[in-house]
Amino acid sequence: MEQQAFVEHSPHQKSSLTTRRIMLDVLIALAPAAVMGCIYFGWQALLVLVLTVLSAVLTEIIWLLIRKQTFKEIFKQFDLTSVVTGLLLGMCFGSQTAWYACILAGAFAVGVAKMLFGGTGRNIVNPALAGRIFAFIAFPTIVAGGWLGANFTESAGEVLTGATPLTDFLTNNGVMNTELWQLFFGYGVPGCIGETCKIALLAGYVYLIVRKVIDWKYPLIYIAATGVTTMIIYQSFEVFLPSILSGGLFLGAIFMATDYVTSPKTLWGNVVYFLVLGIITAVLRFATGIEVVSFCIFLMNLVTPLIDRFIRPKPFGYVRPEKEKTGKGPAKEAGK
Amino acid sequence: MQIKANPLRHGVALSDKKAATKDLPVQAIPAPDTVAICMSQHIGKPAQPVVQAGDAVLKGQLIARADGPVSANIYSSVSGTVKSVETRKDDRGASAQYVVVQNDKQDNAAFLPPLAEKTKENILERIREAGIVGLGGAAFPTYVKMTPRTPVDALVINGAECEPYLTCDYRLMVEKYAELLQGIRYLALALGVDKIYIGIEENKPDCIERFAGEEDIVTVPLHERYPMGSEKHLIYSCTGRKVPCGKLPADAGCVVQNVATAYAVYEAVELGKPLFERVLTVSGGAVQRPQNLLVPNGTAFSYILDYCGVDDSCAMIVDGGPMMGVAVADRKVVTKKATSGLLALTKAETDGSTPTPCVSCGRCARACPMHLMPMDIDFYTQNEDYEGARDWGGVLNCIECGSCAYVCPAKRPIVQSVRLAKAKLRELAATNGK
Repeated sequence: MEQQAFVEHSPHQKSSLTTRRIMLDVLIALAPAAVMGCIYFGWQALLVLVLTVLSAVLTEIIWLLIRKQTFKEIFKQFDLTSVVTGLLLGMCFGSQTAWYACILAGAFAVGVAKMLFGGTGRNIVNPALAGRIFAFIAFPTIVAGGWLGANFTESAGEVLTGATPLTDFLTNNGVMNTELWQLFFGYGVPGCIGETCKIALLAGYVYLIVRKVIDWKYPLIYIAATGVTTMIIYQSFEVFLPSILSGGLFLGAIFMATDYVTSPKTLWGNVVYFLVLGIITAVLRFATGIEVVSFCIFLMNLVTPLIDRFIRPKPFGYVRPEKEKTGKGPAKEAGK
Repeated sequence: MQIKANPLRHGVALSDKKAATKDLPVQAIPAPDTVAICMSQHIGKPAQPVVQAGDAVLKGQLIARADGPVSANIYSSVSGTVKSVETRKDDRGASAQYVVVQNDKQDNAAFLPPLAEKTKENILERIREAGIVGLGGAAFPTYVKMTPRTPVDALVINGAECEPYLTCDYRLMVEKYAELLQGIRYLALALGVDKIYIGIEENKPDCIERFAGEEDIVTVPLHERYPMGSEKHLIYSCTGRKVPCGKLPADAGCVVQNVATAYAVYEAVELGKPLFERVLTVSGGAVQRPQNLLVPNGTAFSYILDYCGVDDSCAMIVDGGPMMGVAVADRKVVTKKATSGLLALTKAETDGSTPTPCVSCGRCARACPMHLMPMDIDFYTQNEDYEGARDWGGVLNCIECGSCAYVCPAKRPIVQSVRLAKAKLRELAATNGK
């Protein structure tokens, strides 16, 4: 009876939510798109996903081993973030990506973009995006050239090769030859493993909202801003759906840009972040003629600390300090 | 009268866990053999003992006098002899004087005379004399609160009881309704206001219904959300006024009092009974017979826990509610005026998680009722930049409700960081002031 009781700071009860659980939810949400990617693009797609995930996870474990941590400690702090990174990275590769590119990109994503900056929660840019951009620059022909599209009417092995609908759209001045329903289901559409099947991505989006992992507003803001800006650029209402349904916009908006670590912390910060993201995506797509979602998110990741610095909530009961009274209001006025 | 509360979006939804003791009537615990009455059980200067070892005292006799304007009188909770006046370390590590009284079980009581003329001055004087402090948890001397420097026009009664497990205020509202009502009216009279609000959480519909029947009291049903009972948020819910940052409720023209305080005022005015006992809830998974008990001031926790039966599954003992209460390591700790609950929690009920890195998910900022940036407070404090915690996290506005730490998926010890930052900033201000 008289045993020493356990003592800690209040609160003495906490929610059951953990980082690992959130990451598991993200993985579950990614699963439909990953599965559809493997169905559309075959075993090569599965190989790419497995390689990137393995590479990402092993990089983290090796890093921690070098830091002299035991396997027990590593398992205890393993929060599935590197699995998410690896899977996301694989999903924004084409199915023809060479095995060494997958492994190097996975190692770069976790080793350089995440662990070098201090591990989970300390990275400045989304590791998966950093990995993708690394691969894009290091192996331009392997990653970007020769997109394949699934086409079950052709015999196996004779899959369509060609430009993605988005490059098609951008080079033909806003006209696309692919049907909208095809874009929506991703059937026969060349592109990255995870980005073509929009309906699977939307299923993941709904799951994330139901599990309260992400705010439903943010991806919508991004997608809508991109679509509207494209409409303004081309002076046409018809480009709205093709512009948002093609390319990696859904994958980026739902899974990449909403990454906790690299997006702003406040509601209004996030609104600004996603709005600007949508606008620059549309403008840069038009200016460069290639898919730029990953670069845009990467750019905005770098701006995030700045947004967090200037857009902050006002404390409850905040009164704007009068000029002569300085130092009384504990929270600083935004932008001043 | 009943009005709708001004909505508050922030905070957290907790399961209230009140079912165990909600319907149990208040019972008096048999007085223990000895009580150790703390001289420092209110905010402000400790009271000065006026008795010595060997003195005979009666139940309700003054044993320590308020020392200075912000302090409170202390009365004996049992009759008997003073065994000693000693200095002990309390559960928070601070030294305090204790008057230990040996109970003679005679129960000889000597109260103050009931107040004949119930005027504003007389009631205020009686509140001061009876040693009444805020019984919601802060233990701020009620007399000081009732004589604000700025003009006030509203009295807000706190019947929210938003902490899980605790039901002592609810039982008071159910069992002592008429007395409580009288106490509230005395408070309003002493304050000289005619606007009276009472905020009650929606999980107590019977209380809301009863108070809504009163013409002079505005009843405000509060959304079942933690921390609705926080002073600033209660004022906003009831009156729509916001207490300016760093200011007191009186600056918004309000005085907030807990229902238990109002009841203590009734007893002091009507019966002349000073504050020496209170109702507290004993609950938690490890308690075999959870109940609402009337406990004399200075009763050891071990005595109460033995009385209610605590089994071996008890992993933590909490003085107060689970969200803001203090975990105590030593069961010799005694009850004070503001002890509203005593919880013996099992391992499953407590949180034994280890902190993991913050992922900036922003849940804490969304939960924070003060609209602060708890993740920044934690970040800057962990890196020993306390001014950063003040400027970027807004730590000085924190009410330490624990909503942020409750929702945190990384299990960051945010409240701990807040307390550290506040203490360090106080230190810093002291050295800079010299």
